[in-house]
Amino acid sequence: MIFAPAIFFLLVFIPCHAQSQTFGDFKYDETALYAETKQVNQFFRRFNGEEDKQGERLYEKDRDFRTYKLRKKYVPTLFNLESSILNDAGKENFSELVLDKDKPVFLDFHGGAWLCELNTLFIYEGREQELTLFLVLQEEVVGSKWVIDGVYFEPFYDLLKKPDNSNFNDSKFLHPLSHEVGFMNIFRVFNESDSLEYFGNKYFQPDYLSLFFYEIKKGRLEFKTVKDLKFHFFQIDGWYFELTYFNRAGYNSGWLISNLLEIDEKNRDILLNYIYHE
Amino acid sequence: MKRFSLILIIMTGMAFSYTTQAQTDISPERKRAIDSLAMEKIRDLGKYISIIGNKQTPFSEAKRVIDRTLELFVEEAQMGVSSLSREEVIYYAIREYLERLMLLNYDKVKIEWFNIQYISDLELQPDGRYVGVITIFQRFEGTSDDGLIYKDVTKKDITVYVERKQTQIGGKLIGFWDVLLGDIRVVETTK
Repeated sequence: MIFAPAIFFLLVFIPCHAQSQTFGDFKYDETALYAETKQVNQFFRRFNGEEDKQGERLYEKDRDFRTYKLRKKYVPTLFNLESSILNDAGKENFSELVLDKDKPVFLDFHGGAWLCELNTLFIYEGREQELTLFLVLQEEVVGSKWVIDGVYFEPFYDLLKKPDNSNFNDSKFLHPLSHEVGFMNIFRVFNESDSLEYFGNKYFQPDYLSLFFYEIKKGRLEFKTVKDLKFHFFQIDGWYFELTYFNRAGYNSGWLISNLLEIDEKNRDILLNYIYHE
Repeated sequence: MKRFSLILIIMTGMAFSYTTQAQTDISPERKRAIDSLAMEKIRDLGKYISIIGNKQTPFSEAKRVIDRTLELFVEEAQMGVSSLSREEVIYYAIREYLERLMLLNYDKVKIEWFNIQYISDLELQPDGRYVGVITIFQRFEGTSDDGLIYKDVTKKDITVYVERKQTQIGGKLIGFWDVLLGDIRVVETTK
């Protein structure tokens, strides 16, 4: 296990009531359970400095609420410290920004610009197949709810491609006087289903979410189970990070930042498209 | 008539915004009281599971305890179980889960609690109820009569629904917070 300075902070932080517990002949170290970032909600609290040393929720009226001192201890522990993807310079720059004494940056559960990538299993064409759902938190008149924002399912993408309009296609078209023959030539469009998309208008974009709902309603796509999930955060200006659950022993476990990138506006859109497979 | 309708709409709107505001306003003290109530229900659940899974419990008594357990839950709550070797979630209706536990028929069932738990914030959902998730860690040990011991440590993320209700006591309407348990996600931990 990597022993990083962040872990040291966390060990200092562990309250005295979280110690080893004995069940008969079974001894258990509770400090690891304390250290784990057990829910995404707790990730938000720790990131924002809204949880005290005892793990208790802090509110605005509390002295340590969102203080620099508290956040300085928590933030370094919220990275996956066993990752080689996360480099020290990136973590330092990111931490410097969010922990700025004059203009600290906080995460907001209802602030938008974050999404969930949920991997599921569906039964399609007689076999189990992986399907990814993208969910976002939507604000309502009363409260909020998670809604499906997109879907990635390989069979849909294989069959219904986004046409590559960057290259002009000079063989797949209906000639401009087709109307004069009452579009009798339209049969050619349907002869070759592989090139069907070229006969659509230049703005055509397949809507996989509609297709997903349609196939479920038709009874051809059947939900089996959920597998795993992760979150993508674009809420902090100039940065992207990924949040993943690490079910492992030790103090650096639970919901942790598993990927971190400094990105500009243009790369943000590219990355979003990449995540959504667009 | 038009004027009357407009006044009615405004008044309804005012009442609605008042309700919305009231709903989003749970003080830290109130939240702590609701948390305690929810933890009490979760402890009851643990107690009932020990009784249901124990071989010494007569069948009729186990059935009665299953009914009591179901009273802790909202309708159609599910238990979603995954293990270290299988990340896919297997779903059980709560009754089905409890009945399976009863049939396992361990000679002795021991459910131990860790002192660590995490209680999320309460979030308002579109139907006006609040929802929260409480994470607890439990150690389960089942000993069969031939001495075989099954044990695991699991993390349980328990959905909690919180609703403001009213009841009439002595002709007076008294408001109270009702807490019911919902879907439970059970994950085997490596710790």
